[in-house]
Amino acid sequence: MTDTKTPAPAGQGTGAASAGAASVAPTGVRRFSGRWFGDLAIRYAMVIVMLLIIAFFLYRSARFGTPENLTTILIAAAPFALIALGQTLVILTGGIDLSVGSVIAVAAVYGSITAKAFPDNVWLAVVTGMVVGLIAGSINGFVVSVIKVPPFIATLGMLTAASGFAYVAGNGAPITGLPASFSSIANTQILGLTLPVILMIVGILGFAVIMRRTAYGMRVYAVGGNPVAAQIAGVKVGRTLFSVYAISGVLAGLSGVMLASRVTLGAPNLGQGYELDAIAAVVIGGASLLGGRGSIWGTALGLLLIQTLNNGLDILTVPAYWQDVIKGALIVTAVAVDVWSTKRRP
Amino acid sequence: MSVVDQLPGGIPNRGEVNTDAPIMLECVDLKKSFGGVPVLKGVSLKLEQGTITALSGENGAGKSTMMKIASGQYRPDEGRVLVRGEELPAGNPNAAHALGVAIVPQELASVLDTTVYENIFLGRERRRFGFLDRRRMIREATELLDDFGVDIPATARMGSLPVGLRQIVEIVKATSTGARVLLLDEPTSAIAEREVARLIGIMRRLRDRGVSLLFTTHKMEEIRAIADRVVVLRDGGLVTDAPLSTLTDDDIVTAMIGRELEDLFPERPEVRDETVLTIDELVVAPSGAPVSLTVKRGEIVGLAGLVGAGRTELIESIFGTRPVLSGTITINGERLRPGNPAASIAAGVALVPEDRKGAGAVLSMNILQNGTLPRLGQFSTFGWLKGRSRTAAVAKSMESVRLRSRGLDQEMETLSGGNQQKVVFARWLTADVNVLLLDEPTRGVDVGARSEIYRIITSLAADGMAVIMASSDLPEILSLSHRALVLRGQAVVGELDRDDLDDPGVQDRIFRLASGMTSHTKGATHD
Repeated sequence: MTDTKTPAPAGQGTGAASAGAASVAPTGVRRFSGRWFGDLAIRYAMVIVMLLIIAFFLYRSARFGTPENLTTILIAAAPFALIALGQTLVILTGGIDLSVGSVIAVAAVYGSITAKAFPDNVWLAVVTGMVVGLIAGSINGFVVSVIKVPPFIATLGMLTAASGFAYVAGNGAPITGLPASFSSIANTQILGLTLPVILMIVGILGFAVIMRRTAYGMRVYAVGGNPVAAQIAGVKVGRTLFSVYAISGVLAGLSGVMLASRVTLGAPNLGQGYELDAIAAVVIGGASLLGGRGSIWGTALGLLLIQTLNNGLDILTVPAYWQDVIKGALIVTAVAVDVWSTKRRP
Repeated sequence: MSVVDQLPGGIPNRGEVNTDAPIMLECVDLKKSFGGVPVLKGVSLKLEQGTITALSGENGAGKSTMMKIASGQYRPDEGRVLVRGEELPAGNPNAAHALGVAIVPQELASVLDTTVYENIFLGRERRRFGFLDRRRMIREATELLDDFGVDIPATARMGSLPVGLRQIVEIVKATSTGARVLLLDEPTSAIAEREVARLIGIMRRLRDRGVSLLFTTHKMEEIRAIADRVVVLRDGGLVTDAPLSTLTDDDIVTAMIGRELEDLFPERPEVRDETVLTIDELVVAPSGAPVSLTVKRGEIVGLAGLVGAGRTELIESIFGTRPVLSGTITINGERLRPGNPAASIAAGVALVPEDRKGAGAVLSMNILQNGTLPRLGQFSTFGWLKGRSRTAAVAKSMESVRLRSRGLDQEMETLSGGNQQKVVFARWLTADVNVLLLDEPTRGVDVGARSEIYRIITSLAADGMAVIMASSDLPEILSLSHRALVLRGQAVVGELDRDDLDDPGVQDRIFRLASGMTSHTKGATHD
């Protein structure tokens, strides 16, 4: 038995815990030793990998560490962040949402059409994108929770169908000639950060709190950990499943409009393949595809890892195809390290 | 030469215990402890050629451990195993196999996507010029199956067969590799009645060929049907080893339960004259008869019956995880909305389900989270989880069942079976419970933790809960319940009051009611 203790879970007031559970919980004494350091290294393996990668890029490139480049990384990460948050919820329930890339495209196209029709009221475009995402996510949620089609299949169908819709809506061509008011959405600056970056930060903080501190978060973990046990504990399993797909859809819709605004183009191929990067971020962040295990912080870390790598390799002018090879190897390595360290964990 | 001829040659002694028969397997003074807890305390046993021995005893008596030592899976702390006089190298399953000792485990390890013949020849595939000789394997497998009177194609997929047939394929596989001692761990626990008859036929056939069989069971009817000799273990010690013909059912039951019965079970609480639960004409399966039942505060009602009799269905319907076809459930005078677990929980119904790992707890979450889950509403304000009051309440309820853990943040996965079961109980105790539903509350729980769980059950009843407890463990039903219902075919076929339960012949009576072998269903509630 080792003596490092995991940090107390959210909401566990230490006073109440030690008083109430005195007979239950002998609190471990923390001893500083080589063993302790080893456990720490195992627990934070991903953080260490991340730091090593950052150190490598800092050493190889003077440009990498500049504030401008940091901003570039954050801006590139933003559209992925929103869908990775939704994806985390879905994966925590033991499902998967393959459709988010296509939902980005449909939302981008419909958002652009709305922006063109109402150039004076571009926030309507944002709402449109989110509603489109909500519809797609709700269909996913319905098919998974009520008809009980496996999530992989249900969202694979939506991936294809939504992509088709994106082309249908724009008659196969991108929506161009968008008003300047629309492109200004993604460039709105708050505290020196653009709106998508703000949304990313607020989203990560918000969902981190929701997943740790609310009854809803606990239901999502419980449904993914053991749906039968969750049902017996009175959790409405179907409703919870429906909600995570709906949330994932809304976030993909929002991401789609932001992306269209940033590139000032309602292209039906926006977001293509993004679902894979989002899933990769969640998995690198330590979530189990079987559900019940994972965290928003892990996803945020996985996301930054991928984006930092993309950025650093670009700066070092590594050819794009090699970048994919390196990214692929990283995904497998990250999960292998996680599997290995979970086994070693006390 | 046909494979059938390779089977061990027979000494046809048809069930008579022949004292001159050679000893095939001998266990000498086996001792084994797990984590300081002795599981076997010096057990000796001899298996004669061509006999069937029943290894009997309660859960946790040491039956499975004994078998695992005899088949080389476990290394005994002390003692040795002799196969036809030759000492078995301890803890070496391959050596045991080579000496002709085969085991068919309780949880079968068949590869479900393979065919029957592939499974039989797994690890010793017939080859021709280096390639698999499938035709020969199919032919030989068919011969083997025919020989056992099993009418299944050798090319059938294992996964498509019922568990009972898969088990028989495993037996065919074991004996076709030349096993002369066959150990069967709870062979009838997971299979249907029709398949039990077939299994018994095959066991007899093997005995007639001179194979020595040892099987674990705690069912009297199986012992009566096939055993030549009965060995009873209790608390890791051997209490009976005698030919079946010299033993009465009572002898065996007394040997299995022993004095322990009084020690294990606490006193039943006082029943208060206040009805909590009223079930009126409840129908839960299309084939079922309506069930009516009232349970008072402090009362423990046992549900006995065979697997599939409808005990679990009744409990799940009361809790709301199974739809109700007709009839009503009333708690403290309030009609319960059927088919809605959340409504049942709000009305003060709690369920400790049968399959602890599969249904009782979320193993990937910690004790605090599991303790919070059933009463999320109570532990949150506008969706936000409370901090201290929640931790304090869960800590208090876990303390009330004397849970042993490293702290509330310990993951369920890392708790022992008995402690997991305590969490599954205690998580309901953060608020008032009116009706406590228990489905096999001690299955897979070791003896020590069992008596603690019995104490929890009786003290909760004493606090005023109405308890319904389904159990396959008859001593549990006989000792804890104030009343017991016997179910068969989704209907109540007998109701036994406390005097009935104290009657010495009650075990036999319950068995007859449960299996439908009798007409004297005194007090039957269905018509």
